[in-house]
Amino acid sequence: MNRVCDAEGEVDIVSEISPADAQRVIESEHAHLVTIDAMRIVSGLINRDRAYMNDVWVRKALNLAVDKERLISEVFQGYAHPVVAMSPPYSGAPTDIEPYPYDPDMAKRLLQEAGWPSDRALVLATTSDVAPIADYLAESFRSSLGIEVDLVSVPDEGLAAAQKALVEKKIPQHFDVLAHAWFDLAAGYPPAVIHREYHHSGGAFRLGSPLEMFEDLMGRSVVETNAGKLGDLGRDIDRLTHREALSVFLCCPMALVAVNNHVNFTGHAATLELAETSVDEGHWSRRNEP
Amino acid sequence: MAQSTQAAASWKAGDAPVGEVRVVDPHPLNWLYVTWNTMEEPVRTDERGEIVGACMEDSHWEGSTLVVKVRDGVRFQDGTTLTSASIERAFDEVQKWVAPHPPGTYLNFHPDTTVDCPDDSTIRFNFPEPDGLALAKFRGFHIASDRFWDESGFGGKVYGTSEGHW
Repeated sequence: MNRVCDAEGEVDIVSEISPADAQRVIESEHAHLVTIDAMRIVSGLINRDRAYMNDVWVRKALNLAVDKERLISEVFQGYAHPVVAMSPPYSGAPTDIEPYPYDPDMAKRLLQEAGWPSDRALVLATTSDVAPIADYLAESFRSSLGIEVDLVSVPDEGLAAAQKALVEKKIPQHFDVLAHAWFDLAAGYPPAVIHREYHHSGGAFRLGSPLEMFEDLMGRSVVETNAGKLGDLGRDIDRLTHREALSVFLCCPMALVAVNNHVNFTGHAATLELAETSVDEGHWSRRNEP
Repeated sequence: MAQSTQAAASWKAGDAPVGEVRVVDPHPLNWLYVTWNTMEEPVRTDERGEIVGACMEDSHWEGSTLVVKVRDGVRFQDGTTLTSASIERAFDEVQKWVAPHPPGTYLNFHPDTTVDCPDDSTIRFNFPEPDGLALAKFRGFHIASDRFWDESGFGGKVYGTSEGHW
Protein backbone atom coordinates (compact mmCIF):
# COMPACT_ATOMS: atom_id res chain seq x y z
CA MET A 1 0.00 0.00 0.00
CA ASN A 2 2.96 2.31 0.55
CA ARG A 3 3.71 2.14 -3.18
CA VAL A 4 0.34 3.55 -4.18
CA CYS A 5 -0.11 6.02 -1.31
CA ASP A 6 3.41 7.42 -0.97
CA ALA A 7 4.87 7.16 -4.47
CA GLU A 8 4.06 7.28 -8.15
CA GLY A 9 5.20 4.94 -10.89
CA GLU A 10 5.37 1.73 -8.91
CA VAL A 11 1.76 0.70 -8.25
CA ASP A 12 -1.44 2.34 -9.54
CA ILE A 13 -4.23 0.21 -8.18
CA VAL A 14 -4.33 -1.88 -5.00
CA SER A 15 -7.47 -3.88 -4.27
CA GLU A 16 -8.63 -5.37 -0.98
CA ILE A 17 -7.75 -2.39 1.18
CA SER A 18 -8.78 -3.21 4.72
CA PRO A 19 -11.23 -0.86 6.48
CA ALA A 20 -8.48 -0.10 8.98
CA ASP A 21 -6.29 1.26 6.17
CA ALA A 22 -9.00 3.19 4.33
CA GLN A 23 -8.35 6.50 6.06
CA ARG A 24 -4.66 6.28 5.18
CA VAL A 25 -5.59 6.07 1.50
CA ILE A 26 -8.03 8.97 1.81
CA GLU A 27 -5.31 11.12 3.37
CA SER A 28 -2.55 10.06 0.98
CA GLU A 29 -0.87 12.41 -1.46
CA HIS A 30 -1.00 10.20 -4.52
CA ALA A 31 -4.08 7.99 -4.25
CA HIS A 32 -7.78 8.11 -3.57
CA LEU A 33 -10.18 5.50 -2.22
CA VAL A 34 -12.81 3.84 -4.41
CA THR A 35 -15.61 2.14 -2.48
CA ILE A 36 -17.72 -0.54 -4.15
CA ASP A 37 -21.01 -2.07 -3.05
CA ALA A 38 -19.65 -5.52 -3.73
CA MET A 39 -21.29 -8.89 -4.16
CA ARG A 40 -19.88 -10.06 -0.84
CA ILE A 41 -21.33 -11.31 2.40
CA VAL A 42 -20.03 -12.36 5.78
CA SER A 43 -22.11 -14.59 7.99
CA GLY A 44 -21.96 -17.21 10.66
CA LEU A 45 -22.24 -20.62 9.02
CA ILE A 46 -24.39 -22.70 11.35
CA ASN A 47 -23.62 -26.39 11.70
CA ARG A 48 -27.08 -27.91 12.03
CA ASP A 49 -25.54 -31.36 12.51
CA ARG A 50 -24.48 -30.36 16.03
CA ALA A 51 -26.67 -30.79 19.10
CA TYR A 52 -29.14 -27.92 19.61
CA MET A 53 -28.12 -26.21 16.35
CA ASN A 54 -31.00 -27.74 14.38
CA ASP A 55 -33.39 -25.86 16.69
CA VAL A 56 -34.64 -22.68 15.00
CA TRP A 57 -34.94 -20.99 18.44
CA VAL A 58 -31.23 -21.47 18.98
CA ARG A 59 -30.44 -20.11 15.55
CA LYS A 60 -32.70 -17.10 16.11
CA ALA A 61 -31.07 -16.53 19.49
CA LEU A 62 -27.69 -16.33 17.80
CA ASN A 63 -29.03 -13.75 15.36
CA LEU A 64 -30.61 -11.67 18.12
CA ALA A 65 -27.38 -11.76 20.12
CA VAL A 66 -25.29 -9.73 17.69
CA ASP A 67 -25.37 -5.94 17.35
CA LYS A 68 -24.81 -5.72 13.61
CA GLU A 69 -24.75 -1.92 13.55
CA ARG A 70 -21.85 -1.88 15.96
CA LEU A 71 -20.14 -4.63 13.98
CA ILE A 72 -20.34 -2.44 10.87
CA SER A 73 -19.21 0.74 12.59
CA GLU A 74 -16.40 -0.78 14.68
CA VAL A 75 -15.04 -3.76 12.75
CA PHE A 76 -15.74 -2.47 9.25
CA GLN A 77 -15.28 1.24 10.04
CA GLY A 78 -18.62 1.81 8.32
CA TYR A 79 -17.53 0.15 5.06
CA ALA A 80 -20.29 -2.48 5.00
CA HIS A 81 -24.03 -2.67 4.48
CA PRO A 82 -26.62 -4.26 6.78
CA VAL A 83 -28.23 -7.39 5.39
CA VAL A 84 -31.59 -9.00 6.16
CA ALA A 85 -30.58 -12.54 5.30
CA MET A 86 -28.10 -13.72 2.64
CA SER A 87 -29.02 -11.56 -0.36
CA PRO A 88 -27.11 -8.26 -0.57
CA PRO A 89 -29.57 -5.33 -0.28
CA TYR A 90 -28.58 -4.17 -3.77
CA SER A 91 -28.91 -7.63 -5.34
CA GLY A 92 -32.39 -9.03 -5.25
CA ALA A 93 -33.08 -8.98 -1.52
CA PRO A 94 -36.73 -8.89 -0.39
CA THR A 95 -37.87 -5.53 0.95
CA ASP A 96 -40.72 -6.80 3.11
CA ILE A 97 -38.65 -8.31 5.92
CA GLU A 98 -36.34 -6.69 8.48
CA PRO A 99 -32.97 -7.79 9.87
CA TYR A 100 -33.11 -9.56 13.22
CA PRO A 101 -32.82 -6.79 15.80
CA TYR A 102 -30.18 -6.70 18.51
CA ASP A 103 -32.15 -8.03 21.49
CA PRO A 104 -29.95 -9.79 24.09
CA ASP A 105 -32.85 -10.40 26.48
CA MET A 106 -34.94 -12.15 23.86
CA ALA A 107 -31.87 -14.03 22.66
CA LYS A 108 -31.13 -15.35 26.13
CA ARG A 109 -34.77 -16.33 26.66
CA LEU A 110 -34.96 -18.25 23.37
CA LEU A 111 -31.76 -20.10 24.17
CA GLN A 112 -33.03 -21.11 27.61
CA GLU A 113 -36.39 -22.24 26.22
CA ALA A 114 -34.53 -24.37 23.68
CA GLY A 115 -32.94 -26.17 26.62
CA TRP A 116 -29.36 -25.05 26.04
CA PRO A 117 -27.34 -26.47 29.00
CA SER A 118 -25.72 -23.78 31.10
CA ASP A 119 -22.37 -25.58 30.94
CA ARG A 120 -22.44 -26.13 27.18
CA ALA A 121 -19.96 -23.84 25.42
CA LEU A 122 -20.65 -22.65 21.91
CA VAL A 123 -17.82 -23.61 19.57
CA LEU A 124 -17.05 -20.78 17.17
CA ALA A 125 -14.51 -21.44 14.42
CA THR A 126 -12.67 -18.94 12.29
CA THR A 127 -10.00 -18.50 9.67
CA SER A 128 -7.47 -15.69 9.70
CA ASP A 129 -9.23 -13.65 7.02
CA VAL A 130 -12.30 -13.15 9.21
CA ALA A 131 -10.64 -13.30 12.63
CA PRO A 132 -11.76 -9.79 13.73
CA ILE A 133 -15.36 -10.71 12.90
CA ALA A 134 -15.07 -13.94 14.88
CA ASP A 135 -13.66 -12.04 17.85
CA TYR A 136 -16.64 -9.72 17.72
CA LEU A 137 -19.07 -12.64 17.47
CA ALA A 138 -17.46 -14.43 20.39
CA GLU A 139 -17.77 -11.34 22.55
CA SER A 140 -21.39 -10.87 21.43
CA PHE A 141 -22.42 -14.45 22.16
CA ARG A 142 -20.75 -14.38 25.57
CA SER A 143 -22.25 -11.09 26.68
CA SER A 144 -25.71 -11.47 25.13
CA LEU A 145 -26.33 -15.15 25.79
CA GLY A 146 -24.38 -15.59 29.02
CA ILE A 147 -22.66 -18.70 27.72
CA GLU A 148 -19.05 -19.66 27.26
CA VAL A 149 -17.64 -19.52 23.75
CA ASP A 150 -14.71 -21.62 22.61
CA LEU A 151 -13.05 -19.74 19.77
CA VAL A 152 -11.14 -22.11 17.49
CA SER A 153 -8.83 -20.73 14.81
CA VAL A 154 -7.97 -22.72 11.72
CA PRO A 155 -4.26 -22.09 11.01
CA ASP A 156 -3.43 -20.83 7.53
CA GLU A 157 -1.33 -23.91 6.83
CA GLY A 158 -4.33 -26.11 7.61
CA LEU A 159 -6.85 -24.09 5.64
CA ALA A 160 -6.91 -26.25 2.50
CA ALA A 161 -7.46 -29.43 4.50
CA ALA A 162 -10.18 -27.77 6.55
CA GLN A 163 -11.94 -26.51 3.44
CA LYS A 164 -11.76 -29.96 1.88
CA ALA A 165 -13.22 -31.58 4.99
CA LEU A 166 -16.05 -29.06 5.05
CA VAL A 167 -16.93 -29.63 1.41
CA GLU A 168 -16.57 -33.43 1.47
CA LYS A 169 -18.72 -33.78 4.63
CA LYS A 170 -17.20 -37.15 5.53
CA ILE A 171 -15.61 -35.97 8.77
CA PRO A 172 -17.94 -34.47 11.39
CA GLN A 173 -17.27 -30.79 11.91
CA HIS A 174 -16.74 -29.94 15.56
CA PHE A 175 -17.86 -26.34 15.47
CA ASP A 176 -21.31 -24.85 16.00
CA VAL A 177 -20.71 -21.67 14.04
CA LEU A 178 -18.03 -20.78 11.50
CA ALA A 179 -17.31 -17.14 10.68
CA HIS A 180 -17.32 -17.16 6.91
CA ALA A 181 -16.96 -14.79 3.97
CA TRP A 182 -18.37 -15.51 0.52
CA PHE A 183 -19.21 -13.77 -2.76
CA ASP A 184 -21.49 -13.79 -5.76
CA LEU A 185 -20.46 -13.79 -9.42
CA ALA A 186 -23.27 -11.47 -10.54
CA ALA A 187 -26.21 -9.49 -9.22
CA GLY A 188 -29.89 -10.36 -9.43
CA TYR A 189 -30.18 -13.94 -8.25
CA PRO A 190 -27.99 -14.57 -5.18
CA PRO A 191 -29.28 -18.09 -4.50
CA ALA A 192 -27.30 -19.40 -7.48
CA VAL A 193 -23.99 -18.83 -5.72
CA ILE A 194 -24.75 -17.84 -2.12
CA HIS A 195 -27.80 -19.61 -0.69
CA ARG A 196 -27.17 -22.73 -2.76
CA GLU A 197 -23.66 -23.18 -1.38
CA TYR A 198 -24.77 -22.78 2.24
CA HIS A 199 -28.11 -24.57 2.32
CA HIS A 200 -28.84 -26.68 -0.77
CA SER A 201 -28.33 -30.44 -0.79
CA GLY A 202 -25.52 -29.92 -3.33
CA GLY A 203 -24.01 -26.95 -1.52
CA ALA A 204 -20.35 -27.04 -0.58
CA PHE A 205 -20.87 -25.50 2.87
CA ARG A 206 -24.17 -27.04 3.95
CA LEU A 207 -23.98 -28.73 7.35
CA GLY A 208 -27.31 -30.26 8.32
CA SER A 209 -30.14 -32.01 6.55
CA PRO A 210 -31.49 -30.37 3.39
CA LEU A 211 -34.76 -28.48 3.85
CA GLU A 212 -37.61 -29.73 1.69
CA MET A 213 -38.99 -26.26 0.94
CA PHE A 214 -35.55 -24.95 0.10
CA GLU A 215 -34.97 -27.85 -2.30
CA ASP A 216 -38.34 -27.20 -3.94
CA LEU A 217 -37.65 -23.50 -4.48
CA MET A 218 -34.17 -24.17 -5.88
CA GLY A 219 -35.57 -26.90 -8.14
CA ARG A 220 -38.11 -24.47 -9.56
CA SER A 221 -35.41 -21.82 -10.02
CA VAL A 222 -33.07 -23.85 -12.17
CA VAL A 223 -35.68 -24.31 -14.91
CA GLU A 224 -37.11 -20.77 -14.70
CA THR A 225 -36.03 -18.70 -17.70
CA ASN A 226 -38.23 -15.67 -16.96
CA ALA A 227 -35.99 -13.17 -15.18
CA GLY A 228 -38.86 -11.63 -13.19
CA LYS A 229 -40.11 -14.96 -11.92
CA LEU A 230 -36.55 -16.04 -11.14
CA GLY A 231 -36.12 -12.90 -9.04
CA ASP A 232 -39.35 -13.71 -7.17
CA LEU A 233 -38.08 -17.21 -6.43
CA GLY A 234 -34.80 -15.74 -5.20
CA ARG A 235 -36.65 -13.50 -2.76
CA ASP A 236 -38.74 -16.46 -1.57
CA ILE A 237 -35.53 -18.37 -0.89
CA ASP A 238 -34.10 -15.43 1.06
CA ARG A 239 -37.32 -15.12 3.11
CA LEU A 240 -37.17 -18.83 3.94
CA THR A 241 -33.50 -18.54 4.88
CA HIS A 242 -34.39 -15.63 7.18
CA ARG A 243 -37.45 -17.32 8.71
CA GLU A 244 -35.47 -20.46 9.53
CA ALA A 245 -32.44 -18.39 10.64
CA LEU A 246 -30.23 -20.76 8.69
CA SER A 247 -27.15 -18.56 9.21
CA VAL A 248 -26.09 -15.77 11.52
CA PHE A 249 -26.73 -12.89 9.14
CA LEU A 250 -24.09 -10.20 9.52
CA CYS A 251 -23.36 -7.73 6.70
CA CYS A 252 -22.12 -7.11 3.17
CA PRO A 253 -18.59 -5.65 3.21
CA MET A 254 -17.68 -3.07 0.59
CA ALA A 255 -14.70 -3.65 -1.67
CA LEU A 256 -12.11 -0.91 -1.10
CA VAL A 257 -9.56 0.00 -3.76
CA ALA A 258 -6.68 2.47 -3.59
CA VAL A 259 -6.23 4.20 -6.96
CA ASN A 260 -3.55 6.60 -8.20
CA ASN A 261 -4.95 10.09 -8.67
CA HIS A 262 -4.14 10.09 -12.39
CA VAL A 263 -6.02 6.84 -13.01
CA ASN A 264 -9.73 6.74 -13.78
CA PHE A 265 -10.92 3.46 -12.38
CA THR A 266 -14.48 2.16 -12.39
CA GLY A 267 -15.26 -0.16 -9.52
CA HIS A 268 -17.28 -3.27 -10.33
CA ALA A 269 -19.49 -5.07 -7.85
CA ALA A 270 -18.60 -8.59 -8.91
CA THR A 271 -15.03 -8.42 -10.18
CA LEU A 272 -11.88 -6.35 -10.52
CA GLU A 273 -12.52 -5.00 -14.01
CA LEU A 274 -9.98 -2.92 -15.92
CA ALA A 275 -11.72 -2.53 -19.30
CA GLU A 276 -12.90 1.01 -18.55
CA THR A 277 -9.69 2.09 -16.82
CA SER A 278 -7.93 5.09 -18.31
CA VAL A 279 -5.07 7.40 -17.37
CA ASP A 280 -4.78 11.15 -17.83
CA GLU A 281 -1.84 13.05 -19.28
CA GLY A 282 -0.36 13.61 -15.84
CA HIS A 283 0.09 9.88 -15.25
CA TRP A 284 3.67 8.69 -14.84
CA SER A 285 3.42 6.43 -17.91
CA ARG A 286 2.53 9.37 -20.17
CA ARG A 287 4.68 12.22 -18.91
CA ASN A 288 7.39 11.64 -21.52
CA GLU A 289 5.02 11.38 -24.45
CA PRO A 290 6.16 13.41 -27.45
CA MET B 1 -0.36 -7.33 -13.34
CA ALA B 2 0.37 -4.47 -15.70
CA GLN B 3 -2.12 -3.55 -18.34
CA SER B 4 -2.18 -1.02 -21.15
CA THR B 5 -4.97 1.47 -20.75
CA GLN B 6 -6.83 4.05 -22.71
CA ALA B 7 -6.37 7.78 -22.33
CA ALA B 8 -9.34 9.41 -20.73
CA ALA B 9 -10.83 12.00 -23.03
CA SER B 10 -9.46 11.54 -26.50
CA TRP B 11 -9.49 7.76 -26.81
CA LYS B 12 -12.03 6.13 -29.11
CA ALA B 13 -12.73 2.56 -30.17
CA GLY B 14 -10.06 1.33 -32.54
CA ASP B 15 -7.30 3.54 -31.13
CA ALA B 16 -4.23 1.89 -29.66
CA PRO B 17 -4.11 1.67 -25.85
CA VAL B 18 -2.36 4.59 -24.14
CA GLY B 19 -0.44 4.42 -20.89
CA GLU B 20 0.13 1.62 -18.43
CA VAL B 21 -1.28 0.73 -15.04
CA ARG B 22 0.23 -1.56 -12.46
CA VAL B 23 -2.21 -3.47 -10.32
CA VAL B 24 -1.80 -5.37 -7.08
CA ASP B 25 -4.75 -7.62 -6.40
CA PRO B 26 -4.39 -9.95 -3.42
CA HIS B 27 -7.97 -11.21 -3.70
CA PRO B 28 -8.23 -15.03 -3.65
CA LEU B 29 -10.21 -14.82 -6.90
CA ASN B 30 -7.40 -12.97 -8.69
CA TRP B 31 -6.96 -15.94 -11.03
CA LEU B 32 -10.58 -15.45 -12.10
CA TYR B 33 -10.26 -11.68 -12.47
CA VAL B 34 -7.20 -12.16 -14.69
CA THR B 35 -9.20 -14.61 -16.80
CA TRP B 36 -12.12 -12.20 -17.09
CA ASN B 37 -9.80 -9.35 -18.06
CA THR B 38 -8.01 -11.34 -20.76
CA MET B 39 -10.58 -13.73 -22.27
CA GLU B 40 -13.97 -13.33 -23.92
CA GLU B 41 -17.25 -14.55 -22.46
CA PRO B 42 -20.78 -14.35 -23.86
CA VAL B 43 -21.69 -12.03 -20.97
CA ARG B 44 -19.96 -9.80 -18.47
CA THR B 45 -21.20 -7.85 -15.47
CA ASP B 46 -21.66 -4.11 -15.33
CA GLU B 47 -20.66 -1.83 -12.45
CA ARG B 48 -23.58 -2.99 -10.32
CA GLY B 49 -22.93 -6.65 -11.09
CA GLU B 50 -25.85 -7.01 -13.50
CA ILE B 51 -25.31 -9.44 -16.36
CA VAL B 52 -24.96 -7.70 -19.72
CA GLY B 53 -23.96 -8.93 -23.16
CA ALA B 54 -20.29 -9.19 -24.07
CA CYS B 55 -19.55 -11.26 -27.18
CA MET B 56 -23.24 -12.16 -26.98
CA GLU B 57 -25.22 -9.28 -28.41
CA ASP B 58 -28.65 -10.69 -27.60
CA SER B 59 -30.43 -13.90 -26.71
CA HIS B 60 -33.91 -15.37 -26.51
CA TRP B 61 -35.52 -18.65 -25.58
CA GLU B 62 -37.32 -20.93 -28.02
CA GLY B 63 -38.67 -23.62 -25.69
CA SER B 64 -35.62 -25.14 -24.08
CA THR B 65 -33.27 -23.75 -26.75
CA LEU B 66 -31.36 -20.56 -26.06
CA VAL B 67 -30.68 -18.68 -29.28
CA VAL B 68 -27.62 -16.43 -29.01
CA LYS B 69 -26.81 -13.61 -31.42
CA VAL B 70 -23.02 -13.16 -31.58
CA ARG B 71 -21.66 -9.62 -31.58
CA ASP B 72 -19.94 -8.58 -34.80
CA GLY B 73 -16.41 -7.22 -34.86
CA VAL B 74 -14.96 -8.97 -31.80
CA ARG B 75 -11.35 -10.03 -32.32
CA PHE B 76 -9.03 -12.16 -30.23
CA GLN B 77 -5.54 -11.05 -29.22
CA ASP B 78 -4.08 -12.89 -32.25
CA GLY B 79 -6.27 -10.87 -34.62
CA THR B 80 -8.67 -13.65 -35.55
CA THR B 81 -12.40 -12.97 -35.46
CA LEU B 82 -14.75 -14.35 -32.84
CA THR B 83 -17.71 -16.06 -34.52
CA SER B 84 -20.32 -18.60 -33.51
CA ALA B 85 -17.74 -21.28 -34.38
CA SER B 86 -15.46 -19.89 -31.65
CA ILE B 87 -18.23 -20.38 -29.10
CA GLU B 88 -18.96 -23.86 -30.41
CA ARG B 89 -15.26 -24.73 -30.09
CA ALA B 90 -15.18 -23.49 -26.49
CA PHE B 91 -18.34 -25.46 -25.73
CA ASP B 92 -16.89 -28.66 -27.23
CA GLU B 93 -13.62 -28.22 -25.34
CA VAL B 94 -15.24 -27.53 -21.97
CA GLN B 95 -17.96 -30.18 -22.19
CA LYS B 96 -15.21 -32.83 -22.13
CA TRP B 97 -14.48 -32.02 -18.51
CA VAL B 98 -16.26 -33.36 -15.47
CA ALA B 99 -15.44 -30.23 -13.45
CA PRO B 100 -14.37 -27.36 -15.71
CA HIS B 101 -14.96 -24.65 -13.11
CA PRO B 102 -13.06 -24.27 -9.81
CA PRO B 103 -16.12 -22.81 -8.03
CA GLY B 104 -18.07 -26.01 -8.66
CA THR B 105 -20.00 -28.12 -11.11
CA TYR B 106 -23.15 -26.03 -10.79
CA LEU B 107 -21.68 -23.87 -13.58
CA ASN B 108 -21.64 -26.88 -15.92
CA PHE B 109 -23.97 -27.05 -18.87
CA HIS B 110 -26.16 -30.16 -18.79
CA PRO B 111 -24.11 -33.01 -20.33
CA ASP B 112 -26.84 -33.67 -22.90
CA THR B 113 -26.74 -30.10 -24.19
CA THR B 114 -25.92 -29.69 -27.88
CA VAL B 115 -25.13 -26.63 -29.97
CA ASP B 116 -25.52 -25.75 -33.63
CA CYS B 117 -24.44 -22.72 -35.61
CA PRO B 118 -26.79 -21.79 -38.45
CA ASP B 119 -24.45 -18.93 -39.39
CA ASP B 120 -21.39 -17.02 -38.12
CA SER B 121 -23.54 -14.75 -35.96
CA THR B 122 -25.92 -17.26 -34.41
CA ILE B 123 -25.46 -20.19 -32.06
CA ARG B 124 -28.25 -22.27 -30.58
CA PHE B 125 -27.87 -24.03 -27.23
CA ASN B 126 -30.25 -26.98 -27.14
CA PHE B 127 -30.76 -27.83 -23.47
CA PRO B 128 -32.66 -30.98 -22.49
CA GLU B 129 -34.77 -28.70 -20.26
CA PRO B 130 -34.88 -24.91 -19.80
CA ASP B 131 -31.84 -23.68 -17.88
CA GLY B 132 -32.73 -20.70 -15.71
CA LEU B 133 -29.09 -20.11 -14.88
CA ALA B 134 -27.80 -20.30 -18.45
CA LEU B 135 -26.88 -16.62 -18.66
CA ALA B 136 -25.16 -16.76 -15.29
CA LYS B 137 -23.24 -19.83 -16.49
CA PHE B 138 -22.20 -17.83 -19.55
CA ARG B 139 -20.22 -15.60 -17.16
CA GLY B 140 -17.85 -18.50 -16.55
CA PHE B 141 -17.87 -19.73 -20.17
CA HIS B 142 -14.54 -18.57 -21.57
CA ILE B 143 -14.25 -18.15 -25.33
CA ALA B 144 -10.79 -18.33 -26.87
CA SER B 145 -9.14 -18.34 -30.25
CA ASP B 146 -8.34 -21.58 -32.05
CA ARG B 147 -4.70 -20.87 -31.36
CA PHE B 148 -5.37 -20.92 -27.61
CA TRP B 149 -7.03 -24.31 -27.76
CA ASP B 150 -4.53 -25.74 -30.25
CA GLU B 151 -1.40 -24.62 -28.41
CA SER B 152 -2.26 -24.75 -24.71
CA GLY B 153 -5.91 -24.73 -23.72
CA PHE B 154 -6.31 -24.71 -19.96
CA GLY B 155 -3.20 -26.86 -19.58
CA GLY B 156 -4.57 -29.69 -21.68
CA LYS B 157 -1.76 -29.64 -24.21
CA VAL B 158 0.80 -29.85 -21.43
CA TYR B 159 -0.83 -32.33 -19.05
CA GLY B 160 -2.86 -34.39 -21.49
CA THR B 161 -6.07 -33.29 -19.82
CA SER B 162 -7.34 -29.93 -18.68
CA GLU B 163 -9.22 -31.47 -15.78
CA GLY B 164 -8.01 -29.83 -12.57
CA HIS B 165 -5.48 -27.63 -14.39
CA TRP B 166 -7.34 -24.37 -14.53
